[in-house]
This record gives sequence, C-alpha cells and structure tokens, in this order.
Amino acid sequence: MTLRKRQLVWLGLVVAGGLVLLSAAAAVHGRAAAAAQVNGPLDWAQVEAARDAGQPALSADLPPAQLDPCLHCHISGENANLWTPLARWAVFGTFGLVFVFGVYRSASVWNQRKPWKSLTARTVEWVDERYQVSEPLSKILKKPVPKFALRWWYCLGGITAFLFVVQGITGIMLAFYYKPTAAEAYTSIQFIENEVRFGAAIRMIHHWAANGMIVMCIAHMLRVFIMGAFKAPRELNWVSGVLLLLLTLLFGFTGYLLPWDQRAYWATTVATDIAGSVPAIGSLILVFLRVGWDVSEATLGRFYVLHIIVTPLLTVAFMLVHFMMIRKLGIKKPL
Amino acid sequence: MTTTHPEQENDSVPFYPDHVKTEFYVVVAILVLAFIVGGLGLLSPVGLQDPADSLNTPLHVKPEWYFLALYQLLKYIPPQVLGIDGTIFGVVTIALAFVVVVIWPFLDKKEDSKKAMLVRVVASIVGMIILVALTIWGEVS
Repeated sequence: MTLRKRQLVWLGLVVAGGLVLLSAAAAVHGRAAAAAQVNGPLDWAQVEAARDAGQPALSADLPPAQLDPCLHCHISGENANLWTPLARWAVFGTFGLVFVFGVYRSASVWNQRKPWKSLTARTVEWVDERYQVSEPLSKILKKPVPKFALRWWYCLGGITAFLFVVQGITGIMLAFYYKPTAAEAYTSIQFIENEVRFGAAIRMIHHWAANGMIVMCIAHMLRVFIMGAFKAPRELNWVSGVLLLLLTLLFGFTGYLLPWDQRAYWATTVATDIAGSVPAIGSLILVFLRVGWDVSEATLGRFYVLHIIVTPLLTVAFMLVHFMMIRKLGIKKPL
Repeated sequence: MTTTHPEQENDSVPFYPDHVKTEFYVVVAILVLAFIVGGLGLLSPVGLQDPADSLNTPLHVKPEWYFLALYQLLKYIPPQVLGIDGTIFGVVTIALAFVVVVIWPFLDKKEDSKKAMLVRVVASIVGMIILVALTIWGEVS
C-alpha cells in the first residue's frame, strides 16, 4: 500500500486532531487525579455507609453523586486515575482512526470503480471475447424484413416449422414409453393413455399437430404458388419445400402404423399396396417398406426407425437449407 | 410495379425484435391451442381400435386422410386405361403430377403478372376443391 500526498495530509490532520483531543482529556483527568491524590484512595465501606445514610460526597472536591455526570467514574474512583481513560482513548482512538481511514478508502475506491455492468452483459462480453459471435449474430438478427411480410398469410410456413418443433418434443415424450414390437406396441400405447401422467394429452397433441402440420404445409404451399414466390430466382426454395411436404407425408405415413391397431395395420397395408403398384420398382419399394411381403413386426420396426430417426434428420436438414435460401433471397414482393 | 427497394429503411423492420415478436405471438397462440388440445385429450383420448390382426380384414379399409384422395382416384380408375393396367396408369399419372409440381418453377418461367396470378388462384381453388371432394368422398364411402 502506498500513501499518496493527499492521503498523507488527511492522515496527518486526523492524527493531530486525535493528539489534541488526547491531551485535552489528559489535562481534565489530570486535574481529577490531583484531587483524588488529596482525598486518598476509595474506601468502599465508606461509600456504602454514605449511601445508606443518604449522605452525598466522598470528598468536598467532587460534586455530589446525584450531580456527577459520570456516576460510574464517581463510584469506581476512575476519575482519580489517568491511565484508564488514557488506555480507553488509545484503544478506541486507534479503532476510530482505522475506521476513518476505511471510510476514506472506501470512498476513493467507489469513486474509481468501473462502470456497473449486468451479469448478462458481462457473460456476453466474456463469450464474445473468445468466439467473436456478436457481430455475425447481430448481422443475422438485424436483417431487415420487408413490412409486407408481416401479413398473416406469411406466417403459415413459420407455423409449420413450429408444429415440427411441437412434434419433436411430444414425439420424444411418447418415445420414452413406446415399444416398437408387435407384442407390446398396442399395450404401450394403452399404457401411455391410461397410466402415464398427461400421456393422453401428449398423444392428443402429437396426433393433432401432425394433422395440423400437413394442413399448414399445404396452406403455405398454396400461398407461395398463388403469389408466384416460386419463380426465378427462388426455384430451389420451391423444390426443397415440396420435398419437405413429402417428408411430412412420410412422417404421417410411418407414424400411422405405430399404434398397431386394426386401423393402422390395414391403412399401412393399402398404402404400401399403392406404392407396390409402381411399375418396374414397385415390388422393390413394397419389400423395402414392409421388410417382406406382408406388414409384420419387421415393418413396425422399420417404420419406427424411419419415423423417429431418418425422417426427422432429413427434415431438419431440408428445413435448414430451406430457411437459408429464404434468408439469402428474401421474401418475394407481392405484385 | 413500384420502384421501392424492399430493403429500404421505411419499408422494412429488423428481424429482431420486430419480426421475432410477431412470430412469438404466433408461437404463443399455437402453444395455447396445443394445451387446449392436450386438455381435450385428457377428457377423451385419441384411443385405439382393436389390436392389429392380419387374418381379420375390416369392412372399410382406409389410408390416412391425406392419402384418401389418391386412394379414391386409384379405387375408381377403370381396370384398363389405354391398354395399360388401370392401377399402374393411375400411379404413374400421380407420380408424374408430383414430378411436375416439383419442377414447376422451371416450367413456368414467364414474367409474373396480375393475370397469371389470377389464373393461379383459380387453379388452386379448383385443385383444392377436387382434392377436398375426393377426400370427403373417400371418407364417407
């Protein structure tokens, strides 16, 4: 710790003030002590006798007990002694000096403090120092969006994307309990609906959000088609969008079998039959989808993997491409 | 056509927070809807039919509603079209139609106009009516 000149001046003043107070106190108590010398040391028997007799005064030099401003000093005879108050001054005075110095230091530290920053701001700064993310991120976030894109029919694609998120979350929740085997698929759905807390609600949301996603896909596509937003240079936006519709239908197609009830089984049977009637490669598609000639437990396993791994990965990839292309080319200005 | 540039200051809002805020409201609305649907699910669950049985074909076999239109088309196509098996003809036609939808931007390359948009509106409406009609027909039949 180094003391600067200004601080030294203050310290000097405080010490000098302390010394003045100390010498004043010594002078006062010196007088009292001199008086005590005359009267001799305190005799407790005499004090008590005087108190019992209701008589004042141990000595003519001191004021009567009732009038003495320091009754404690009066009784203990402290005012006849210099060292007790001197020691008190030395101890409390030192603490006082330390306290005053502390206040001074605190004030100067407060004056020299860094400007206050929230924890969030400091965290952002910390990350940004290391990875320089704020500049590209703000570029992404500050990208101007034309005002006409705030009309409601421009949010159909966004709704589709969010419904996909809903499907992801509720789908993971269902997958915790679902068992993709012929023996257990049906009962695990029953378990989800009857035993799992909110299982019926989650399945209901998954069911209806799936239908909603297909409806929203088609609505979004119609909007794009009608407004001519597929036209050059946005051809590939359209192509990736149609492929996303196809993936959504594949989601519905593979998910429909999973409850493994009569409706699921026979819907899958007729749907794969249609796929099987494609010329030349029909049988190949049929066998690939059914893993054999009939819908069986193997079909269930295949559809499950297609439903929860393959299609979601492809969808996420195509969605990212779709979004990046939209970002790059912007939203088409309506006619 | 106006000559204003879409990125012009007074013509656009920043993606964040303006546009994100709008999208956020949409998301909240969907979430509320989802919770309502979930609540209804607690009252009356989606439910299940009888367990799958490959030996017992139900009376009315139907695919999912979004395949019903295609299914209906294939069901009522004549057994022989132009000397080709009807189902194969139908499937190939549908596949070709899908390919046309995919590559549509490469076919429709003309400068866009109000008239073309009107044609597209009519085409969309007609297409949707056919699709919905086929779906309903498939559902009730």
